[in-house]
Amino acid sequence: MYDTVIIGGGPGGIAAGVYAARKKIKSALITDNFGGQSLVSADIQNWIGTKSVSGFEFAQMLEEHLRAQEGINIIYPDLVEKVEKSERGFNVTTKKGEKLETKTVLVTTGSRRKKLGIPGEKEFDGKGVAYCSTCDAPIFKNKIVAIIGGGNAGLEAVLDLLSYAEKVYLLEFSGQLKGDSLTQEKIKSDSRVQIIFKAKALEIVGDKFVTGLKYEDLETNQLKEIKLDGIFVEIGSVPNIEFVKDLIVANKVGEIVIDHKTQATSQEGIWAAGDATDILYKQNNVSAGDAIKAILNIYDYLNRK
Amino acid sequence: MEQQNKVVKIYTTPTCVYCKMTKEFFKKNNVQYEEFNVAEDEKARDAMVEKSHQMGVPVIDIDGEIFVGFDQQALKKALEIR
Repeated sequence: MYDTVIIGGGPGGIAAGVYAARKKIKSALITDNFGGQSLVSADIQNWIGTKSVSGFEFAQMLEEHLRAQEGINIIYPDLVEKVEKSERGFNVTTKKGEKLETKTVLVTTGSRRKKLGIPGEKEFDGKGVAYCSTCDAPIFKNKIVAIIGGGNAGLEAVLDLLSYAEKVYLLEFSGQLKGDSLTQEKIKSDSRVQIIFKAKALEIVGDKFVTGLKYEDLETNQLKEIKLDGIFVEIGSVPNIEFVKDLIVANKVGEIVIDHKTQATSQEGIWAAGDATDILYKQNNVSAGDAIKAILNIYDYLNRK
Repeated sequence: MEQQNKVVKIYTTPTCVYCKMTKEFFKKNNVQYEEFNVAEDEKARDAMVEKSHQMGVPVIDIDGEIFVGFDQQALKKALEIR
């Protein structure tokens, strides 16, 4: 029987793991990757104490720090399938079939990319539809691509693609771009970029690979089609909470509702921290701090019991 | 794997983290591999797309068996790494 099971290997999970080990809480950490969403980041410049670090090195730093602790059982690579209430706490079942019994659970599973959910997206995933511009931009050398989503991630993707692609469309649902104004200027001044506002993506078409994108012009309600070779989807993210959703209260965008003082969820015995929760600011440093708050509160809870 | 009798190729881009993770995994397990940077090498890019029927990296070719992405378990199995 564990005192706590930490789910997730991003900055939140690792911070929690380190603190749990130092508090001598009998703990396990389950994750299928280290580093969280920043893993694919080319350069992180705001992780406090580190001027500049790549996502890959960041992940290695976190993993090393966790592995240097004694007394924490690291279950990797694996994913949690279900958390269920048991008589003395919770039963945690992983995809590979491990079963753990624990008094408390800390959810630090972050979020994942939101998909468009339109016809052709699944069919052409990897065949022109892509979700990682840092990774895959070079493969679209001299091609025509569209980025969907005019937030920061979308603008960054436009920049990534401009190094390689012949033409870049940027489709935004609303009437204006939302990302960093400096990046906006950079993008607007490049003649290879065409920004299309009030565009609702409807269908991705192709044969072996993507050949086009159908969208609705929300201004005129006209159906339009662009001929292109690639589509990068950057429309935000959804929290990873499926395995625990029957036990806790989430808000309408799927974030776990927490007590911001203690990180406790609506379910006694379950805490949550980081991007999976209803915090305002989704940041590595915030996730780490909040997860530490959670572990310290779990420690108090275990001592009170 | 004591002596490598399989030919391993990896198609990468310089900015792709999963490519780095895969190469790190090869190094850790003493797997010899040949790397093709598809950001530079157009022929390799075409070959990669042809082989894998898709446009994402990394693509790993182990004796003609194609893997897309860094799937540690699948690579271990294919390379007979315990």
